[in-house]
Amino acid sequence: MFFQQLVNGITLGSIYALFALGYTMVYGILLMINFAHSEIFMVGAYLGFWALSLLPVWVQGWTPGYFTLVFAIAMMGAGLLAVTIERAAYRPLRRASRLAPLISAIGVSIFLQNLIQVTVSAQSQPYPDTFKISHYEFFGVQVNSLQIFIFALAISAMVLLQVFITKTRLGKAMRATAQNHTVSQLMGINVNFIITVTFLIGGALGGLAGVLNGMYYGSIKFNMGFFPGLKAFTAAVVGGIGNIKGAMVGGFLLGIIEALTVGYISSAYKDVILFAVLILVLIFRPSGIFGEEVTEKI
Amino acid sequence: MKAHTVFRLTLTFIFLLCIFVVISGCGQKGPRVVKVALVAPLTGDIAAHGQGMKRAAQLAIEEALQSNRFKDFKLELAAFDDRGDPKEAVTIANQIISDPAILGIVGHLNSGCSIPASQVYAKRNVLMITPASTNPKLTQQGLRNVFRLCTTDDVQGKFAADYAVDKLKIERAALVHDKTAYGQGLTEEFQKEFLARNGQVLSFDGIDVGEKDFKALLTRIKGENPQLIYFGGMHPECGLLSKQAKELGLSVPVFSGDGIVTPEYAKIGGPATEGDYASMIGSPPEKLPAASKFVANYHQRYPKNDMQPYDPYTYEAINIILDAIEKTGGDRNKMIDYIAKVTYSGILGESSFDERGDTRNKTITIYTVKNGLFKYVD
Repeated sequence: MFFQQLVNGITLGSIYALFALGYTMVYGILLMINFAHSEIFMVGAYLGFWALSLLPVWVQGWTPGYFTLVFAIAMMGAGLLAVTIERAAYRPLRRASRLAPLISAIGVSIFLQNLIQVTVSAQSQPYPDTFKISHYEFFGVQVNSLQIFIFALAISAMVLLQVFITKTRLGKAMRATAQNHTVSQLMGINVNFIITVTFLIGGALGGLAGVLNGMYYGSIKFNMGFFPGLKAFTAAVVGGIGNIKGAMVGGFLLGIIEALTVGYISSAYKDVILFAVLILVLIFRPSGIFGEEVTEKI
Repeated sequence: MKAHTVFRLTLTFIFLLCIFVVISGCGQKGPRVVKVALVAPLTGDIAAHGQGMKRAAQLAIEEALQSNRFKDFKLELAAFDDRGDPKEAVTIANQIISDPAILGIVGHLNSGCSIPASQVYAKRNVLMITPASTNPKLTQQGLRNVFRLCTTDDVQGKFAADYAVDKLKIERAALVHDKTAYGQGLTEEFQKEFLARNGQVLSFDGIDVGEKDFKALLTRIKGENPQLIYFGGMHPECGLLSKQAKELGLSVPVFSGDGIVTPEYAKIGGPATEGDYASMIGSPPEKLPAASKFVANYHQRYPKNDMQPYDPYTYEAINIILDAIEKTGGDRNKMIDYIAKVTYSGILGESSFDERGDTRNKTITIYTVKNGLFKYVD
């Protein structure tokens, strides 16, 4: 049973980790918590839903191309939405107090939720189950192809991101911007462009997590982003907000703790224990597992 | 005069004109407006139930208007959306009692909403008939204005447990509920009877409304090797629970209550829900001779919609209130006294209420999912 719970937890953790990357990247660059990220996740799930149900049949015949297209649509859409949100709601407030963009983010979040609720549906909608799920059993542990797919996709997305951040010029520029906006600008980095790229990538990963979430659970709803959003944010904080490796580890850690708590202790106390872990981590390591002690910027 | 001053003055004038129109509108003479309120979740996850109730209520009011029963009144239906949320339910209840035209309330759907809202209605002695809230506590508060047209959870939970033991030969069951007044209450009643019948309760777990991942919980339940999973709650969670159980290779039926009896259940859970069971209040409308006309009218009025489980109860509740308005001339206090004594004969057969306000008609029917739809079991 332990290994079965581990499989459940890792699948859940893959989605949390992808989701948490968006929070952590934006925080790393702008020192702001993008509360609208949970709605980007939701919109991504809806975009995937529309792509899955509306693409013509001849595309659906060719499975790998079909899924690539569906993910591309959802990720592009979610990424562009994130960029638009940054342009419209955060950029005008960049010189304002740190509280202002936070409130603006909550506003965007409420706006998007209600928009989908009013224009699309206030009810859960079943996700098209186009993914052919086959079940495998290893030593009594049930694993299905969708779980393997989610895990593989999440891991490859994270590896790609890590390579992008550490090995490319653009990635280097992003790390520089995260350290200091003004100095980066002096070195010839277009800070606004870097921020746009950050939102694009974070949003695309959020959208990917949304589609995977929809496919895995088989139903989506306008407020589906709230709980996973809270968990993913917690994952980012536990791992050390602003740190990309931290978000990944935090996501998997949270997923596994959640599954094991339900499995061995109680499903009713799941969130109590999860957030108790958050508090403990913050007491002993205020900047998270991978977070570095950074002196306050002046 | 400057241009913007003229503009401001015009705006002020228009504003005053609007106020005047609104005020004078209130003073108009005419037949007394009488409203019956329907409160149910019209949006949100369980809106399928609520929208069905609204259609049934609308049908009852339209039929009353056509028959021209109320010559002195202008009859209207006032539909409110409580979103299945107890906080929202209380807000709406306060809104309702402040409207003197509302003489009776049909609602709410969720027990968690009905219980706090009933206390608000009691303050102004407004008659409330719930067609769907099954938690026994609702009528144990000693409120004289509260009536219930459906059977309670103690009857339903006991019936379901007896059915599981006698007919399904179940000895070991895992119990899950959604921590709401309805879900937990029903599960506790099931547990009580199941234990009394020497059944073995392997586990008793609560989940959250809106939660989607039950795999961890189900993995543990699978290790307990149950013959049945009993779930107290509504269809969105139960559908996912049933689906994920079968994905984990836990191929035992899920047994639940009236909260999942809607075609939406099998849409969410897919083929995994085939062979699941649910207990439902009352007799199936197909088997009640008096209900056949209602069923026909309903499908004629709403050709595109499925009938939802509480629709006949809502229709009946509205008609009982209309009867009370007719007999008492629309006095809130007299209506309550009238309903406490009446034996109403309608589409559910003979309905009358005991001293607590519960219906004396205590039939329960078991349904099972066949080809994606709930079919009753004889």
